[in-house]
Amino acid sequence: MTSDVLTSRFQKFTQLNWGIFFLIFLISAIGWGLLVSAAGGDVHLWASRQVIRFCFGVIIMLSIALVDLRWWLHFSYFFYAVSLVLLCGVEFLGFIGKGAERWIDLYMVQLQPSELMKIALVMALARYFHSRPSPLTFQQLLFPFLLIMLPVILVLRQPDLGTAMILLMVGGTLFFAAGISLWYFGVVLMGISASIPLLWGFLHEYQKNRVLIFFDPSHDTLGAGYHITQSKIALGSGGLWGKGHMQGTQASLNFLPEKQTDFIFTLLCEEWGFAGGTFLIVLYIFLIILCFRIILTTQNAFGQFVATGMTMTFFLYVAINIAMVMGLLPVVGVPLPLVSYGGTAMLTLLMGFGFLLNVGLNRNLKIPSHSIGIF
Amino acid sequence: MSEENNNKFIRRMIFLGIIQIIFILILVGRMYYLQVFEGPYYHLLAEGNRIATRPLVPLRGQIYDRHGVPLAQNETNFRVVFLTDKRAEVEDTLNMLSGLITLSEEERKDVLNIIRKKRGLDSVIIKDNLTWEEVSAIELHTVDLPGISIEIGSTRTYPQRLAGAHLLGYVASSSEKEQEEDPMLTIPGLKIGKVGVEKYFDKYLRGMPGHSAFEINAKRKVLRELYQQASTAGQDLYLTLDSRLQDYVQDVLSRYESAAAVVIDIQNGDVLALASHPSFDPNLFPQGIGHKPWHELQENPYVPLTNKAISGRYAPGSTVKLLVALAALQSGIIDKNSTVYCPGYIYVGDHKFHCMHSHGNVNVSRAIIESCDVFFYEISKKVGIDRLSALYREFGLGEGGLENFPHSKKGLVPTKAWKIEKKNANWTISDTIQASIGQGYMLATPLELAVAMARLAGGGKKLVPRLTKEEHLPFSDMGFEKRHLETILEATRGVVNFPNGTAFRNRIMAAGQEMGGKTGTSQVRRITMQQRKAGQTKTHHLPWKYREHGLFIGWAPIQNPRYAIAVVVEHAGGSGPAIQAARDILQYAQNLGREAVQ
Repeated sequence: MTSDVLTSRFQKFTQLNWGIFFLIFLISAIGWGLLVSAAGGDVHLWASRQVIRFCFGVIIMLSIALVDLRWWLHFSYFFYAVSLVLLCGVEFLGFIGKGAERWIDLYMVQLQPSELMKIALVMALARYFHSRPSPLTFQQLLFPFLLIMLPVILVLRQPDLGTAMILLMVGGTLFFAAGISLWYFGVVLMGISASIPLLWGFLHEYQKNRVLIFFDPSHDTLGAGYHITQSKIALGSGGLWGKGHMQGTQASLNFLPEKQTDFIFTLLCEEWGFAGGTFLIVLYIFLIILCFRIILTTQNAFGQFVATGMTMTFFLYVAINIAMVMGLLPVVGVPLPLVSYGGTAMLTLLMGFGFLLNVGLNRNLKIPSHSIGIF
Repeated sequence: MSEENNNKFIRRMIFLGIIQIIFILILVGRMYYLQVFEGPYYHLLAEGNRIATRPLVPLRGQIYDRHGVPLAQNETNFRVVFLTDKRAEVEDTLNMLSGLITLSEEERKDVLNIIRKKRGLDSVIIKDNLTWEEVSAIELHTVDLPGISIEIGSTRTYPQRLAGAHLLGYVASSSEKEQEEDPMLTIPGLKIGKVGVEKYFDKYLRGMPGHSAFEINAKRKVLRELYQQASTAGQDLYLTLDSRLQDYVQDVLSRYESAAAVVIDIQNGDVLALASHPSFDPNLFPQGIGHKPWHELQENPYVPLTNKAISGRYAPGSTVKLLVALAALQSGIIDKNSTVYCPGYIYVGDHKFHCMHSHGNVNVSRAIIESCDVFFYEISKKVGIDRLSALYREFGLGEGGLENFPHSKKGLVPTKAWKIEKKNANWTISDTIQASIGQGYMLATPLELAVAMARLAGGGKKLVPRLTKEEHLPFSDMGFEKRHLETILEATRGVVNFPNGTAFRNRIMAAGQEMGGKTGTSQVRRITMQQRKAGQTKTHHLPWKYREHGLFIGWAPIQNPRYAIAVVVEHAGGSGPAIQAARDILQYAQNLGREAVQ
């Protein structure tokens, strides 16, 4: 039995989508190079820790990928429930970091439940839509709607505008993927537009500032507008080919804030120019294309939805972060996936890819809709 | 999933994919816009972020006399500055500093004031001209003095000191008003000319400031110097002045209480010497003159700060008789043999105008040599004020001399129109008579008199005085007949060298160096400079000094006109001192001329 298990495991391993793996590695490696530059040549400040986290994350990724997909189907709701509880936990026990309650200090590791939730939501929605194929009645839509809104509200209270946006959009995408009638989307959009003035009142001062700055960066170039102004300066001054590795004057002289986290793409653009920035974007595009291949070739609904959700999440990270550093979106604190320095984001991202790879492995698997995944 | 649902799914996924591609293209487009299209603009801003500049004071052009003798120089010195990114610690630092060097309360206050008022400043000069001990003391304690730095600067020095101080002028720091008009002047340490040649040629002498660029980080901390754009030194200036002559003139004038003299080269208009006495030491000013010396200068009754050679307006007295004679000759009213009988006085209405004594029958020559007033009273009536004042102006009276030179004043040549406008009265014959002997409303500066003499002695050419050697264009001919000019000049030779000449006693003895000229005294009906300053403008304010000013205009050598001179000695009581001064000066000038090849 064990040798069979081992051989089947090994076979699965070889069938993994190596293209995705390679791209993940390449993009991360670019990130490490940038972190060295951001630290002024110091490898140990950020880069080496990121590499360790990456290795750790890859192990987790592979572990997730090699398990039978139906296990994950089975644990979807449970996973969601745990995440929701942890989110509530942040509300009441939270450790205040960077002026926002987002972390729970679990001795060794700082856990960010909102990150976890991004995956859990996808899993839960995937399972739900898997079990109830289109068309869905209105009543049947209420539950998934709740599944989305509960964490969104909790996250908004933290306050974390970025994650809330991502949860909403990923949830919406899954609704879209599940074949929901387009009418519903129209109504929801109108509802959102109508309630914007109401929502505005709920925003914290600094969030309001960020939105105001977005519409008029000159409003406060030394305060809230500073980040985006400096980002544009650093980015734009890179020109076509950039200033070269470690030659980014704006970054090295500390004019560019958060250069190892939110604004790392700016650093890339300052040092490697338009050429460098486009290169990274092309890598991301390739990665997403490979993900789409999985989405379109998967034979089971659960897999389709999981893959869609993970891909969309990944895309949103990339799109929002890059748009933000270029001044196309208000600053919302979304990291650049695989490149930005940060533990939890990297971990959950690789977890997500683990699920994606899993779906890829099991694309020919047919799962009946009534299945709850127990074998 | 059913077939239909699957197709729907695939359709929707493709749609999603397209949306994603479009969004990414927008991002790439935006990137292109920022980096390629607007790249240079952001590059500029990036550099603007990280580069801070400090201006470098340009080295001022030095001033030399015609032989290269330095008149105004730059001496390097050390000064201590406070770098204002340490604004918060300035009080403590100053306290520490005053323990090491002498820092007056006033200097402290000034520094604190500047730091408080001017926000954009990079550095403030605390003290200039440090002694070597002070520099060492500061260098030793740099650790305790955050934000303090020693800089090398330069101070303007005037080696000739009193001689030529008025003409040369001095530099000092610019005032706030001047800074408003020209922002370049806000550079700390930049001095500008305030008076005299330093001011007249200031732009030429100033040069262009450079700057040094530093890389700074986001906390405005200086990391390293990136480059220096050197300042362009100002251009050196060579004046027509002869410093030996100037020195001598200043010396001669110092025999008296208050005097002025101008020496001009008749051939080309070079100003060889221009002096006013008493003088002052211009070295007091570049660092900021102290209150005490300033007060002393202000309180001195002989007004040392005034350049009497160009600002002093005196009634020219008998010196203008040369011009009256020329006017009469030129207009044919007299010839060189015509005579007038002088009984010692004439009547105009019931007013009696006097002469020195009865001269009997005089022709123009004798009238000049012996300075007979009556002769000129008579002919001036025929010449008329219009022709007379026109000729005066031709010879430069009332014209000033050095155009736009700081503090240069013009004399006064009265006309009928002038009297109506300024005095609201009609011109009378007695006004003409007064004007014919250089009294009444007439005023002239010593420079104007020297120019007039030079124009006469130079053969009726319209000489223009100049301070620097430029290409010499020949002076235009004023259109006077040679023989008339010769008559006048011959008479001036007689004034000095004939026994009956008014200047005979003070003639130059040395053969070949004899001078010609005309004496004059001006009555002190006019208010002297000191009284005007003190606000005494009414005749009953005249002090015990009723003595007249003494004047002499002259030229030498008589065989071959070279130098023209005008001397005014205030309150001399007669022209004697003026003639003596002119004699000594012209002799000295000619001796100099013999030594060097000009």
